[in-house]
Amino acid sequence: MSILELQAATIKFGGLIAVNEVSFKLEKGDLFGLIGPNGAGKTTCFNLITGVYKPTSGDIIFHGRQIQGTPPNRIAQLGICRTFQNIRLFPALSVLENVVVGGFLRHRTTLAGALLYLPSSLRETRRLKDEAMDYLKILDLDGVPNARAADLPYGMQRRLEIARAMATKPELLLLDEPAAGMNPQEKQDLMETVKRIRDDHGITILVIEHDMRFVMNLCERIVVLDHGEEIAHGPPEAIRNDPKVISAYLGEPV
Amino acid sequence: MRFWSIRLASVLIALGACVLLQALVGHASDYEQRIVVLVGLYITLSVSLNLINGITGQFSIGHAAFYQVGAYLTGYLTLNYFSKQPIHNMLLWVILMMFVGAIGAAVAGFIVGLPSLRLRGDYLAIVTLGFGEIIRITVQNQPAIGGSYGMNVTPKYQSVALVWLLAIICIAVCRNLLKTAHGLPFLSVREDEVASQAMGVNVTRVKVTAFLIGSAFAGAAGALLAHFEGFITPTTFGMDVSFIILTMVVLGGTGSITGSIFAAALLAYLPEYLRGLKGADGQPLMIPGSNVVAWLVAVAVAVTLTRLVMNKYSGDKLKKLALYLGAFALAVVSRFIAAFFLRMIPVMANKQIPIDQVRMVIFAVTLIVIMLLRPQGIFAHHEFSWSWVKGLFKRGEVPHSAVSA
Ligand SMILES: Nc1ncnc2c1ncn2[C@@H]1O[C@H](COP(=O)(O)OP(=O)(O)OP(=O)(O)O)[C@@H](O)[C@H]1O
Ligand SMILES: [Mg+2]
Repeated sequence: MSILELQAATIKFGGLIAVNEVSFKLEKGDLFGLIGPNGAGKTTCFNLITGVYKPTSGDIIFHGRQIQGTPPNRIAQLGICRTFQNIRLFPALSVLENVVVGGFLRHRTTLAGALLYLPSSLRETRRLKDEAMDYLKILDLDGVPNARAADLPYGMQRRLEIARAMATKPELLLLDEPAAGMNPQEKQDLMETVKRIRDDHGITILVIEHDMRFVMNLCERIVVLDHGEEIAHGPPEAIRNDPKVISAYLGEPV
Repeated sequence: MRFWSIRLASVLIALGACVLLQALVGHASDYEQRIVVLVGLYITLSVSLNLINGITGQFSIGHAAFYQVGAYLTGYLTLNYFSKQPIHNMLLWVILMMFVGAIGAAVAGFIVGLPSLRLRGDYLAIVTLGFGEIIRITVQNQPAIGGSYGMNVTPKYQSVALVWLLAIICIAVCRNLLKTAHGLPFLSVREDEVASQAMGVNVTRVKVTAFLIGSAFAGAAGALLAHFEGFITPTTFGMDVSFIILTMVVLGGTGSITGSIFAAALLAYLPEYLRGLKGADGQPLMIPGSNVVAWLVAVAVAVTLTRLVMNKYSGDKLKKLALYLGAFALAVVSRFIAAFFLRMIPVMANKQIPIDQVRMVIFAVTLIVIMLLRPQGIFAHHEFSWSWVKGLFKRGEVPHSAVSA
C-alpha cells in the first residue's frame, strides 16, 4: 500500500481552481519531486496534505486512511511534517528550542507535572533536548544551539526548518523549496543531506523546488503541475524530454 | 533524593519567608500593611497576565475582570455562608476561598479566552477589554451584591503571608513552565501559530490553558483582596486597574517574569511611597510649582541626551558610560537654571503643590521615561540572572533562552 495518495484532489478559491483533480501516489522511501511554474498550485498541494485547507473535492489518503479535513496538528501527529516556502521559524526562540517544539508532540509527561517541576518532567525535557541536538547534528547546526533563530543566516534558517520538521519523527517529510536562496555549494550539501535523511532515516520525501538541476539530480520521480493541473508524471529523464513540460514550464530542454 | 531535599527546602523557605514577612509587618500600621499586600497582589496579577500576554502572546487587557470575579464570588460566599458552615477556622476558609475564586475566575477566563481562538492582536484586546467591562457593569447593577455601593465582606481576614504565598506560587508556576519543555508550545504559539500547528502543537488547547491558568491566579488574588479589605466595590476593578496591570507587564518587558515582578513592585509601591512623603514639619510634603516644572525640564533634557548617546554613539562601553553621566550632570544643571528663571514668575514660585497631587505626574513621567529609553521593557525578553547582568557589560552572546543546551 502506498504511503500517500492524492485522488483527484481539487480546491477552489472563489473562481480560481488552484489545484484541479490532481492524483499521484508516493511509495514508502520515495524521493519525489513536485515542480511547476509560479502559481501552479504546488504549495497549495502541501496545504491540502497538511490539513491547512480542506479539498473542495477528492481524497487524500495516508496509509489507507482518509485525512482530508483533519486539523494540521493532528496531521503532524499522524506522521506528516513540512517546511515552509517563506521560512516560518519561531524567531525569538533559540535554535535548540525551535527543534524541541518539533519533538514536543512525542512528550510523555503532563502539564501539571511540569508546573510542579517534577523530576519526570525535567528528565523529559532533557531527553527532548538531547534528541533535538541529534537533529541539529544531522543538519550541521549543532554549533549554534543557543543562537536566536532570527539571527541565523538564510541558509541555516532553511536547514533549521528541516531539523525542526524531522524532530516530529515524520514518516513523510514535505519540503517546500528547501534550496531557495542558497548558493551552489549550499545546494550541493543540502542535496546530500536530503538523500541521507531518506536513506538513513527511512523518511519518504516530497520536495518542491524550482532549481531544475537540484530536482533532476535528487528525485527519482517527479510530478509536474501547471495551472493546478497535473501535466506530467514520471522519472526525471522522461520529464526532461516531455514536450508538454517543456512548452508549459521549462521553455527549453534542460 | 537530592532533588526532593532541595524541593522540600525551597517550599519551607517560601513558607518561612511569608510567615516572617507577616511577623515583620504585623505591627506596622494598617496603611503600611496594605501597601505590602497590594504589592504582593499586583505581582500575582502581573505575572499571571504575563503568562497570557507575554509568554503566549495573546493580547488580553481585561485582567481586572478575573480579579473581580474572584473577589465578588468569594466575598459573597463568605458573607452569606461562612457562619452557616462547619469550617470555623478562618484561615482554612480563606484558603478554600482562594481555590473557589481561582476556579470561578478560570471559568470566566475560559469564556474570555474563546475569542482568542479566532481573533488576534488589537481585535482580541478590544474583546477582552469589553468583556471586562461587561463583568464590571453587570456587578454594578446587581443590588443583591451591593451594586455600585459595594459589598461588605465579613468576617474579614487580613493575611500578608497568604498574599505573598500566592505571589510565590504564581511565580513558581510560570517559571517551572518556562524551565521545562512544556513551556515551549506556549512560546511557539506567540511566535508563529501556523508553524506551531504544523509541528503538532494544539494551538487551541495552549491558548485556552494560558487563559485558564492566568485568570485562576487573578481570581485567587481577588479572593485575598476581598477578605483583606473587608469591603469591595466595582470601581476597585475598573479599566484603570486592568491598564495598570498591563502597564506592569509591558514595562517589565513582555514575556519576562522577573520583569513583571520588578515592574509590579515598582508601580504598586511608587504612588504610595510618594503619598507618604512628609516635609520637615511632619506635614505632607509641599513642593513649589517652579520646582515641579524645573524637574520636568531636567527629565526632558536627560531623556533627550540619553537617547542621543544611545542612538548616535557606538563605541567603547566605558566612554559611553561617561557620556551618560555627562548627560545626567547636564540635566541636573538644567534643573537649577530652569528653577532660577521659573522663580521669577510669581505664580510658579508662590504656588505650593502637595506631593499627593504631584505623585500621579511623577508616576506618568516615570512610565514615559522608561518607555522612551527602553521601549522593549526594563528586562526586554530576558529573565534576570547574573550571567545576563555580566553580559550587559561585555560583548558576545547574551544568554536568552530558558531551555538552553
Ligand atoms: N488562500 C488562498 N486564497 C486565494 N488564492 C490562493 C490561496 N492560496 C493560494 N492561492 C492561489 O492559488 C494559486 C497557486 O498558489 P501556490 O502558492 O500553490 O503556487 P505555487 O505553485 O506554490 O507557486 P510558487 O512557485 O510561486 O510558490 C495561486 O494563483 C495563488 O494565488
Ligand atoms: Mg509555493
